[in-house]
Amino acid sequence: MESQLLVFLLVGLPYMAVLGCIAGSIWRYRTSRFSYSALSSQFLEDKALILGSMPWHLGIFTVLAGHAVAFLIPRVWAGFVSNQTFLWTVEAIGLGASLLALVGLGTLLVRRLTNGRVQAVTTSIDIVVLGLLLAQVVLGILVAVQHSFGSVWATGTVAPYLWSLATLQPNPALVRDLPPLVQGHMALAWILILLVPFSRLVHIFSIPIGYLWRAPQIVVWANPRRFQGVEAVLIPARRYFLRGAAAVSVGGALLAAGTAGTFGRFFFGPRPSEKEQTKLDEQKLARLRQTQRQKELSVERSQKRYIRIAKVKELDAKKGRYFIDYEMRAALAFMGEDGLPLLISAKCTHLGCTVGSELDAAGRILCPCHVSYFDVKTGVPNQGAPAKDPLPHIAWVMMDEKGDVVASRGGDGRAHGTIDPAKAALCDVYIAKKEESSS
Amino acid sequence: MSTILEPRSRRLARFVRERFPLENLDPKHMIEKKEVPRHRMSWAYYMGGLALFFLLVQIVTGLLLLFYYQPTVSDAHASVETISEYVSGGAWIRNLHAWSSSAMIATVIVHLFTTFAMKAFAAPRELTWVSGVSLALIVFGFGFTGYLLPWNQIAVNATKVGLQSVEAVGQYLPGEMAHWPTFVRETIQGEPSVGQATLSRFFAIHVIVLPLLTIAALGVHLMQVQLHGMSRGVDALKVKTEKFFPFFVIKDLSVWGVAFFVVAVVAMCLPFDSFLPFPLLEPYNPLGSTPDGIKPEWYFFFVYYPLELLPYWAVIAASTLVLGALFLAPWIFARTTRRTLSALAIAAALYFVVMTVFGHAIYDALKGGPP
Repeated sequence: MESQLLVFLLVGLPYMAVLGCIAGSIWRYRTSRFSYSALSSQFLEDKALILGSMPWHLGIFTVLAGHAVAFLIPRVWAGFVSNQTFLWTVEAIGLGASLLALVGLGTLLVRRLTNGRVQAVTTSIDIVVLGLLLAQVVLGILVAVQHSFGSVWATGTVAPYLWSLATLQPNPALVRDLPPLVQGHMALAWILILLVPFSRLVHIFSIPIGYLWRAPQIVVWANPRRFQGVEAVLIPARRYFLRGAAAVSVGGALLAAGTAGTFGRFFFGPRPSEKEQTKLDEQKLARLRQTQRQKELSVERSQKRYIRIAKVKELDAKKGRYFIDYEMRAALAFMGEDGLPLLISAKCTHLGCTVGSELDAAGRILCPCHVSYFDVKTGVPNQGAPAKDPLPHIAWVMMDEKGDVVASRGGDGRAHGTIDPAKAALCDVYIAKKEESSS
Repeated sequence: MSTILEPRSRRLARFVRERFPLENLDPKHMIEKKEVPRHRMSWAYYMGGLALFFLLVQIVTGLLLLFYYQPTVSDAHASVETISEYVSGGAWIRNLHAWSSSAMIATVIVHLFTTFAMKAFAAPRELTWVSGVSLALIVFGFGFTGYLLPWNQIAVNATKVGLQSVEAVGQYLPGEMAHWPTFVRETIQGEPSVGQATLSRFFAIHVIVLPLLTIAALGVHLMQVQLHGMSRGVDALKVKTEKFFPFFVIKDLSVWGVAFFVVAVVAMCLPFDSFLPFPLLEPYNPLGSTPDGIKPEWYFFFVYYPLELLPYWAVIAASTLVLGALFLAPWIFARTTRRTLSALAIAAALYFVVMTVFGHAIYDALKGGPP
């Protein structure tokens, strides 16, 4: 029994409400077109109206826009709200806007119930709609407070459910297990949609967007008695300016007060916890070591005739090892096909990026900046590559443990010396200072 | 005809006198009598003020960042991280600085296009225009130097590539002159490759040199605006106007307020880094390979993608031509109608938008995958 009611509320009611809303709107538009809006009561009472209507409409518009976005693009939205700051901001804005709407709605309800002039034009459906809206907003706020982060969980439940309704494949199972508070909020929403054409809510379909850019009109009480004894008041521009300035100052002061805590502490400085401080210090040490390493490398290069790159057996044919050459530029060391080391500059001859270290199937190195492929054996870039000049090979020297030169390759690319594979594996590869290698 | 017969010295004196009508430099003229034309393009009158507003945001947030930023190779990245993660409100300030810089550049570009279309450079406003074009270049300079300061992998490599393209001019120069661009690049860098010296001088340029230049150029720019009032902006002989004070001022301030609100909220919700295809948080590693697809900031795309796609000399020639035409616009286009100028501005704006939004797609389509 209970589940039957639930199915009706989750499937029957939505379709009934939407169909009723469409049919009723057409009926109302055809039978009484001039009533196709909300009856204005601005010239009966305008002070409470502005205090009620403005917050209400601003608030409810914001809230509805939030609902609409989450239902229309749930996946994109889910991506956004996975950012915690964004989520909190959205939730805070939503809650703030709904409180604003609540205050406005309350004011409107009190006005409609207590003001004699407005009472004279109030129909029972007006009261019903106001009451239902009030209930709906309260339910919404309760949902937001009791089951917070609706902007997250709705994307996996309510949004697909609404899509299932829209695509005529209703799937109430998606929302069956939601808390009764949420289901009540949803049911009441359908009832309000059903009521749209039969109440003043119909003005949703006749929003006077043209008001935004038409010349301002002021509704005035045309009865001459109203103006007896009142002189025409010319509001000078200065007053508007002062009012604007005052509003800006108050806003600015509020902003300053609200953010004083955060920005006061900005100047106080960071006070990381001990753990965080340790992490920061370690990080800093690592960076200092990196800087120190750079300096050491450059000192080493100015002092030493030979610099060790790697053990021969550490070299790989496909994956190069980065090292720093005598000009303090990046370079790569491979194992060549002839079983001898192959050292090549890694500074792209186009715009100086550092090329990648892995060979592709054709034995080429890629410079990722502007996509030049260099043949590792010749250093020559591919046809049409942005780089025109080949990557130069770097001369090397192979020494055994005793420091005796076993083999070497000069800048000309020719290898000298004898290579015994078994013995070579034990040797180290060095680069040599220019004047040495040219001999 | 009389102008031609005038002696040169007197012509110069007259030119200066007409550009600096100092008798207009009183509150009566600048506040009470100042009027702003109202027409189809009136919205463009807000752009300059808006750019100024973003500049103010940049100055304030920049000063705040200066409290914690450390311009050394070993500490720069860590100090930016500290600002983002440990300083109260620091992430917001830094985000605001990044977002507002983009907003400032976008506004400056719109300002440039609209004032061009409205022929706001026509005599006697030539100096307004020239100082404005200088300011636009300064703003791009701010962007280029500021990009390097966090000293992360992308920024350092992008700066290397950007500076290296200066050197590429060398191939077109004869003889000994071929080495001059290298000399220029190393002078900018302060050392043979991008390192501590580069960071130090980019920092100095970003926080001292360019701000001083801005003050000078902006002084001329604003003074000219005050002396000559708003340009009419349309061809019609009779134009409706509204008073600058208080009406336009209020609206101007409202625009500032909305702009601040938007930028502040965006800075709070969306880290600027989330628009980059790679996390900015990786510090520069001098031994690592250059990461894939390094790119400058979006506002350099309009010159970056042509550089990638076209022969270098063509881009250099075109840029020199455009830059020259921009500076000399008041004299080159002195007799051009606003209609033609608008068409030119729209074409330029279209080019800019297409290159910025679809530049990467165009690049991929033309260059294709690996050969």
